[in-house]
Amino acid sequence: MSNGDYGDRGNKDASIANPRGSGEMRPSGGTGKEMNTHSAFLVGDSMTGGYGKSGPDILHDCTVAVDPGEIAVIVGPNGAGKSTAMKAVFGMLDLRQGSVRLDGEDITNLSPQDRVVKGMGFVPQTSNIFTSMTVEENLEMGAFIRRDDFTETMAQVYDLFPILREKRNQPAGELSGGQRQQVAVGRALMTKPKVLMLDEPTAGVSPIVMDELFDRIIEVSRTGIPILMVEQNARQALEIADKGYVLVQGRNAYTGTGKDLLADPEVRKSFLGG
Amino acid sequence: MDFLNAIVALSNFVLIPAIAYGSQLALGALGVTLIYGILRFSNFAHGDTMAFGAMIAVMVTWWFQSMGLNFGPLPTALLALPFAILGTMVLVLITDRMVYKFYREQKAKPVILVIVSMGVMFIMNGLVRFIIGPNDQKFADGERFIISVRDFKAMTGLKEGLAIKTTQGITVVVAVICVALLFWFLNRTRTGKSMRAYSDNEDLALLSGINPERVVMYTWLIVAALATTAGVLYGLDKSFKPFVYFQLLLPIFASAIVGGLGSPVGAIAGGFVIAFSEVTITYAWKKVLVYLMPESLEPDGLVQLLSTDYKFAVSFVILIVVLLFKPTGLFKGKSV
Repeated sequence: MSNGDYGDRGNKDASIANPRGSGEMRPSGGTGKEMNTHSAFLVGDSMTGGYGKSGPDILHDCTVAVDPGEIAVIVGPNGAGKSTAMKAVFGMLDLRQGSVRLDGEDITNLSPQDRVVKGMGFVPQTSNIFTSMTVEENLEMGAFIRRDDFTETMAQVYDLFPILREKRNQPAGELSGGQRQQVAVGRALMTKPKVLMLDEPTAGVSPIVMDELFDRIIEVSRTGIPILMVEQNARQALEIADKGYVLVQGRNAYTGTGKDLLADPEVRKSFLGG
Repeated sequence: MDFLNAIVALSNFVLIPAIAYGSQLALGALGVTLIYGILRFSNFAHGDTMAFGAMIAVMVTWWFQSMGLNFGPLPTALLALPFAILGTMVLVLITDRMVYKFYREQKAKPVILVIVSMGVMFIMNGLVRFIIGPNDQKFADGERFIISVRDFKAMTGLKEGLAIKTTQGITVVVAVICVALLFWFLNRTRTGKSMRAYSDNEDLALLSGINPERVVMYTWLIVAALATTAGVLYGLDKSFKPFVYFQLLLPIFASAIVGGLGSPVGAIAGGFVIAFSEVTITYAWKKVLVYLMPESLEPDGLVQLLSTDYKFAVSFVILIVVLLFKPTGLFKGKSV
């Protein structure tokens, strides 16, 4: 129905234009972005929402997903809504649209506590340990919902983070930044989660400690637990990522494997400093 | 000999009363500090919770006495204590359901809860006076002394006598048992640890699957038990008068703050600091000094720094000094 500037005049002249039976449907080319959520173990699907019932939307149609055995990383500039996307997946954001599914089950309406029971482990960015309690007590509290014997899990956590075994009777608040993060991750692992979510695990630690933490995270992922993680250090995070999401202003800007994103000239130019 | 007499006089008039009073304050301050740590506000109704618990103990004691039931040499009130604790537990749980829960759900700021607790304080205060009246009630019975002055003098041949009242002995023993139980509970049991976790970091406790309403309920139950025990012990040692419990609020808060709000060890230490300061400052030192000083230096006056009427001023001054110079208290509490 192209009318242009001429109105619909000539089209009504049936002697030259046949108005009957012409189609009006228009096929679209899609978004052009591959999301790969069809088989995702945990997916926050086209989430739109913000803080509070009437707060402005921070996320716009944002999708993040992670598969078993994978590390998925959310990166992006400051204020892009990385942590917000993570919180949305964990049920701490008022979603107006979209859904969150864990292992095929819709968990959009569950509270964060119920999601923990369903098998999600979440490590917040700040105040993620009980500072006044010992390392061992922190781990015990992580296993609070478990009624069975969790000594084996605790041994596994100690094997994963040997430094924690050494410091098991020390108050967690007396540990260094990197050790605290290990306690925080260990606490989340105590429930034997089906998926682990880390909100900027390397925030505020030195580069050396950061490398070590990344190694540990890879080790955790090798045990088969899918990991969804928000990271400031985009380059390093994408290097270990099976899947990367670049968010800009609450929207999916680029999605792909970590390697693809690192190789993508657009992404390099805008987020990785060339 | 004079030196021994001085020590005996000191123990009789300062050490023993202060230890007993300190234990009572410590039990009270433990309750305040628990509420502060877990519900995150200063509970002004604590003194009147103690009064309520003690009131039930007094009435149950009278009932037992009328039935001819007694506890041998120990006060009958100890038999009544479990009933009083149960009664107080019911009261605080009802109060929590009806009043505090509403504000918790609104996520009200702690200062609002403080004001709310003042309202609760007035209601409880009125309730107690309505039921038992504002007057002094004696309810201590059984043996009055563990060691009386006469026995002590006969035993040692000293000029000074030493008396240990049964109630003082019971106060210390019961306080030690309570504190030991409390610390065992907080440090060794799953529920106790979950309470500490909740006090430390509420959000993370939620993420670990700790049920906040459960934690709050256990806290109130423990606080009710501590407050009732403290109230009954104080009433046995002195006498039961509702208004006195309201006044006790100041030394109890001073104890909790001196020790560091939110720290159970601090509450105990603070209780003894306050009790010892109060007793030593309001004690007339003449007797002790007469024994210790050479005759030429003997004091003429009573050597009493402050009249006992002003004993509350002592807690108040200590409170202000601590808040000015070490606001987190002796044991790193949370108040700033």
